[in-house]
Formats: sequence, structure tokens, C-alpha cells
Amino acid sequence: MIQLTNITKSFGRHQVLNKIDLTVQKGEVVVILGPSGSGKTTLLRCVNYLEKPNDGEILIGDYRLNCKHASKKDIYQLRQKSAMVFQQYNLFKHKTALENVMEGLVVVKKLSKEEAKTRSIALLEKVGLGSKLDAYPSQLSGGQQQRVGIARALALEPEVILFDEPTSALDPELVGEVLAVIRKIAKEGITMIVVTHEMGFARDVANHVVFMDGGVIVEEGTPVELFNNPQEERTKQFLKRITPELNYSI
Amino acid sequence: MGAPFDITYVFGYLPKLLSTLGMTLLIVGGSLLVGIVVGFLIALPRLYRIPMLNTLARIYVSFFRGTPILIQLFLFYYGLPEILKLAHLDISKAPVLVFVIITYGLHTGAFMSETIRASVTAVDRGQVEAAYAVGMTSYQAFTRIMLPQAMAIAVPVFSNLVIALLKDTSLAFSLGVMEMTGKAQTLGSLTQHFIEAYISLALIYLVVSMTLEKLLLIAERRLLRHEETDSTGHRRFRLEQKSSYRRMVASVDAGKGGTEV
Amino acid sequence: MKLDPSFIWTALIQLLSAIPTTLVITAVSVTIGFIIGLITALLRIYKIPVLSQIAAGYVTFIRGTPMLTHLLLIYFGLPMLVDALSAQFGWSIKSSSIPMIGFAFISFSITAGAYMAEVIRSGLLAVNRGQLEAAYSVGMTTPQALRRIVFPQALAVSLPNLSNSVIGMLHGSTLVFTVSVVDINAKAQIVASTNWKFFEAYLAAAVIFWGLTLLIERITAVIEKRINLYNRGGVA
Repeated sequence: MIQLTNITKSFGRHQVLNKIDLTVQKGEVVVILGPSGSGKTTLLRCVNYLEKPNDGEILIGDYRLNCKHASKKDIYQLRQKSAMVFQQYNLFKHKTALENVMEGLVVVKKLSKEEAKTRSIALLEKVGLGSKLDAYPSQLSGGQQQRVGIARALALEPEVILFDEPTSALDPELVGEVLAVIRKIAKEGITMIVVTHEMGFARDVANHVVFMDGGVIVEEGTPVELFNNPQEERTKQFLKRITPELNYSI
Repeated sequence: MGAPFDITYVFGYLPKLLSTLGMTLLIVGGSLLVGIVVGFLIALPRLYRIPMLNTLARIYVSFFRGTPILIQLFLFYYGLPEILKLAHLDISKAPVLVFVIITYGLHTGAFMSETIRASVTAVDRGQVEAAYAVGMTSYQAFTRIMLPQAMAIAVPVFSNLVIALLKDTSLAFSLGVMEMTGKAQTLGSLTQHFIEAYISLALIYLVVSMTLEKLLLIAERRLLRHEETDSTGHRRFRLEQKSSYRRMVASVDAGKGGTEV
Repeated sequence: MKLDPSFIWTALIQLLSAIPTTLVITAVSVTIGFIIGLITALLRIYKIPVLSQIAAGYVTFIRGTPMLTHLLLIYFGLPMLVDALSAQFGWSIKSSSIPMIGFAFISFSITAGAYMAEVIRSGLLAVNRGQLEAAYSVGMTTPQALRRIVFPQALAVSLPNLSNSVIGMLHGSTLVFTVSVVDINAKAQIVASTNWKFFEAYLAAAVIFWGLTLLIERITAVIEKRINLYNRGGVA
């Protein structure tokens, strides 16, 4: 279980997150929606401690961290409980696809090289890149890079995988392959928090949808509740702007 | 002026000059070592924005890039003993070579620190975030992810610094160190065949700097393996391969002088 | 020997008289160097047969050898060449009529030319190919496109490097002491040895060079601001 309590974050005077509470059950896929600047990416980065919250508490699995008194060691501990898939992929540029996946296993999880390699190859095959093991990121398409990024996250066997707009840097024709991989692993019961603009994906895959605006959670619920029967005015407005494309697709 | 031109002297001088190549390379090697250490010491306060030290580092870099190496040589040769005397250290008996290496080292250190700073800054912020996200400590993230990438970026500039240093060592003769240029001058005045001596000298410098460049290019290729793309998706028209364009830009950037910090 | 702070000031005043020499040498070598550099760069970019190879060889040789050797080669080699040619064709020019500073002008221009060739070449290569195509598409000829579209953009890109080249030549001009021209450095040597106050004299020289360098950078920054107006990124 992941539980965020009272997460608050401001950049200078600008309050980005205002006392956020959010609970994610094990095996759940939570999608966070919201206009840009709503704080959704910041929230995600706080879970991984890439941003330091000013206040609040983060619980992942059995590890609880109070953001006011977090030591370096606590932060490393917390980070090992989660993994992140970045918008810009952020693969290690000087390492091959295989080495990218192995890196965390060898350096952080202290696995033997052999063991790490076997596991990494299996994961890369799972995301359909068994033939690209020795390719460097610069030799891969955006979609392929992002799939390596997902394999890298999976390898760490975290309690939760955080996806930060995983498809928004991709050319449209490459979005499908990445979403397919995410769908596949969602079905395996891996806990995920996903920030995305892909409404179709949110509808299909999410167990729980959260709508954020202005640094607060405006509304949350099942996809059916939130998409078909939004309660809040701000949610309605947002969905109206985004959903027309859904009408074509049916 | 001097004796009539005789090509055989050019070849005759080559071995004589080569006998002092060791001295030239010793100065280059010694000052490079000093320069790398100084470069890191100067770059760190600037990278981590340590107040006070940051400002001092800036002034240091500005001074060494803002004044000619020749002036620096004289300044340290005459000045260093005076300054150290205040700290009750007497180095006025130290061999000239020590002053020469210290001066070139401090000079190179200023350029080196800028190279280090620029390369570290050039590594994408996302790389470090990704390292943290897979659970690395900041030390692991620096040594395993930042440093290898920064080094790859730095090599072309570093390569040019080494060659610039090699060429600058030709001024050490002005303090009486018998390196290649000094030797060429002595040979010239002994036989009055100046021009032959200097042609010979130029040839040796050329070969040495080209060799150094080749060696560093090999190092760069190794460090930059990951960037050898199959050239798909290059939106920009480039006459040359990416890495060689980078080199050229780097070589131009390393132009001596400039206190812009 | 004891440090005499007040002499630094005295030396500074005496060195002022040598500043024009240093500046003239720098200005001449940079100006002629720029012209040589531009021609060399174009020869290489357009891959003109034979000439582009010569250009490449010139750049490699100059960049691979110390500036001091260029000066010495010209100083000792040019008179030989001039006298030999004069004897051959019965000219009246004599090598002894070349002023000392002339050797510095010639040699430093050759040095600067090679360095600037690379600066200009990288600047030209940095201009997006699309710019040239767009110029053609509105009907410009190649010289028009180069002069009106490519050069201004390339200049903006290479300005920092050009500025560094100028500073490099300013610092390099200290080598003229080897051919007995009295620039700031040579003057410092004279002031130092006549008064037996070496540290103070060189400190004064260092201060002047430092000041001149900072001045060049300030001027560059002003020019950069002007010509980069079009280049201001962002949406605001």
C-alpha cells in the first residue's frame, strides 16, 4: 500500500502542492489527470523524492518517511521502494539497453553480474526488445527507449512504478507500443501511479482516477464515476476540453 | 643574417633537438598533473556554489586566462619566492624547472577548471534523476553516471588544452630551461644556421602535437561509443560526423585567452 | 630584494607608453588574420580541389606548432627569401629595409589566420542548412545568400570564439621581445632590469594585460547583445 499524507510543496512563494492525501492499494493502477501546472508531476516526483516535499508523510509498503525529518539514508531507503519512468526516458546515455537495466540491479540491489544479466534479458524480451540488448540509447527510437525505461523500472521489483507522462515525448505512431507494454504489466498486478494525457488509456486500465488542479485533488473515483459522472465543475470543464477525441474513436 | 640555407642541417638538427624532447614532455606532463588537481580544486567551489571560495575561484580563473603566459612565467619566477618568504619558506634555491612547472600547472588549471565545470554542467539533469530513481546514492550517481559522461564531453577540449600546453612550453627557454626551443636557439647561434634549426624544431612540434591529438582521439572514440548513431533522425545538415564537429567546436572554444567566467 | 608596492605604480606609468605598440600588433594581426581565415574557411567548406588541401595543411601546421616558431621562421627565413629573389630579378628591395615590427605583423597574421579559419568554419557550419535553402527559395544567388543570410548568422555564432582569438593574439603579442620590438612585456623587462625590481614590473604588466582582456570581453558582450537581438529565445 502507498499512502501519502499531507504532502505540501512550494517553490519559493509558489505553492505547488497543498496538503495532498492519497492512498493507493496494492495492485491498483492509479491515473492522475489534470491541466498542466496542476502539480501532478510534482506529486509523482515527491513520491520518489526527486522533489523534496516541505511537509507530509510518505508510506510505501512497510516504509514510512516523515518529510520533515528525512535523512539522506532514509531517502535512499524510500527510493528503493519505488521506480520511475520518465517523460524524456532518461536512459543512461553511455550504457547499452542491457546495461541500463542491469545498472540498478548491480549497483543498488547488489546482485551478481550473471544474475542481473539473466533477469535483465528476460525483462527486455518481455518489453519486446530482445534483439536490441547491445544498442545504445542513441540508436533506439523513442518508443524503444521508453520500453527500456520500463524494463529498467520493472527490474528493481519496486512496490510501485511511477510513470511521468510516459508517452508525451513520443511521435504519435510510437505511442501505441509503449501503452501496450504498460497495459501488459498492469494486468500482472503491479502497482502503478501514472500521470498521463491519454484518456482512452486511463479509462481502460485505471482502477482509480485522480483529478488535480491548482495543487489540490479536486475529485477522485473509479474511471466510470469520474468520466461519466463528474461532480465538480473544474473536472467537468477539463473533461469537456479533452474528451472530444474520445467521441471519434467509438 | 646567418649562413646560406642548407637543407642537410635540418636533418642534422633533428636528433640533437629530439634529445631535449624529454625535457619538453616532462614540463607538459608535470604541469598537466598540477593542472588537473588545481582544475578540480577550482571547479568544485564553483559547481557547488560555495560562497567566498566561489568568488576566489572566479578571480583565479579570470587572472590566469586574462594575462599572457609569458608574463605569468616571469611573475612567478620572481614573485613566488618573495611571497613564500612571508610564510618563512625559502625556495629561492629551487631549480628553475620547478617554477616553470608550477606556473604552467596553475595556468592550465584555470582552463582545466572551466572544462570540468562546462562538462559537468553539460550532462543532462535527467541522467542524475534517473540514477536516483533506480536507488543510487549521490556518490554512486556521480561516479557511475555523471563522471563517465562528463569525461566524454571533456576529452576534445582536454585534448586541445594538452596541445596548447605543449606549444606554450616553447616559452620556458626565456627562464633558461633547456627544452627544445632553447636548444634550437643554441644550435642556431652556434652554427649561424638559424632557419634550419627552426624548421627542424617546427617539424618536431608538429609531429608531437599530431601524435598527441591522435592518441586523445582514440580515447575520445572509446568514451563516446554510445554516441555513434546510425545517423538516422539527424535534423540538422552536417558536413561532418557528429563527433568530429564536436571536436572542432571544442578546439575552437579552447582558444587561449578569455576571462569570461 | 624586497617587495616595493609603490614601484608597481611607477612601473605601471612607465608601461603605458608601450600599450599602443601592443594594440597595433594585435589589431593588425587580427584584421589580416580574419581575411586570411575567411578565405581559408571558404576554400575548405567548398572543397575547392588542391587549394582546400593546401588550406588544410596550413591550418594543421600553424595549429600544431608554437606561435614563437612562426615568428622565428619568418624573422630568419623571410630576409633570405627576399634577398634571394632580389638578386634573381634585380629588385631594389633589401631585407634590411623591413622594419622589425613588420616581421611581427606578417608572422602573427599568418598565425591568426589559421586559428580564425577554424573559428569561421565552425561558425559557418553551425548555420542551419535550411537557412541557405530558404535564401535560394526566395531567389537569391549563392553570394547573396552567403552575404545576407549565412554570414551574419555565422558571425553571431562565432563571436565568442573570435573574441577569444583576439585575446589570444593580444597575449601572443608578448613574443615580439624576441625580435626586439618594445611592447608592454619588453618594456616591463627593461623597467625591471634597470631598477632591479622584477616582480613589481611584471605585476604591473600583468595588471595592464588583465585590464585589456577584460575590456575586450566587455566590448564583445556589448556587440553580442546587439547582434543577437534576433536570437532571443523564449516566447515572452
